[in-house]
Amino acid sequence: MGIKKFRFFLASDIEKEEAWLTEMSRQGLHFYKYKFGMYYFEEDPNVSYVYQTDFHQQVDDAYFQLYKDASWEHVTSYIDSFHYFRTKTDNPGIKKIYSDAESAVESLKRMMKMYMAIFLSLIVIQIALLLMWRGSIIDYFSNGIVFSVILLYVYLLSTLRKRIKYYLR
Amino acid sequence: MAKAPEEFIPLSQATYYILLSLREVRHGYGIMQDVSEISQEEVKMGPGTLYGALGKLEKQEVIIKAEVNDGERRKYYKLTELGKQVVQLEYNRLTSLVENAKEIIKELGGEKDGD
Repeated sequence: MGIKKFRFFLASDIEKEEAWLTEMSRQGLHFYKYKFGMYYFEEDPNVSYVYQTDFHQQVDDAYFQLYKDASWEHVTSYIDSFHYFRTKTDNPGIKKIYSDAESAVESLKRMMKMYMAIFLSLIVIQIALLLMWRGSIIDYFSNGIVFSVILLYVYLLSTLRKRIKYYLR
Repeated sequence: MAKAPEEFIPLSQATYYILLSLREVRHGYGIMQDVSEISQEEVKMGPGTLYGALGKLEKQEVIIKAEVNDGERRKYYKLTELGKQVVQLEYNRLTSLVENAKEIIKELGGEKDGD
């Protein structure tokens, strides 16, 4: 038997998500699929996994092979960029896919670069929408939506920046 | 154009050990095992850290892919001439750090049983 749960995590909350998935697994519910904010779990009280998520674009077969060799099972990937891995809790190896601060920062910077690109295109869209402003209901609506998403991205980017600074202390 | 070996110094602990392990042709997991061995279990490298480092070092021409066909999807690497110079330079730097401090540490009483 399995269950599903709806949760919303920002990319900057990747560590909170990892901790949540690991805790669910400790209770016998193991994450295996993600779709539109919905997390799918299968039940098995006899195992327990540690979950870690890697952000990496344009990965090759050797990437997944390396994780597999190191006893990390590939669970699923989201938009070909967020790769979910898990390893059994009683594995003797380390339970972190990033073992030093330098590489953890590089992964956050990669993430920052992608979200910065999306953020900039949102700004362009917002400007275009404002230039076409006619004062109709639809104008208020579409500008409102884009503006809220921009605010969300400002929050996301500033959180990512804080995390990078935290590692570089 | 590749950078001069001096520009890579100092190396991070992870990079230093990766380069040491590539004295022989190895694939990713082989590097992880060797690093753990030569560091006397002190350095346990995560796959995320290693994969990122390999990509970067290959781009910088410090390491190069080696042609090995094991029928699997693994990538094998070895040091380039530049890589050998980099690891040698870092070794020299670390040695002189230790040498320069030796007398001072003795004075500080850090060395319990002096020889």
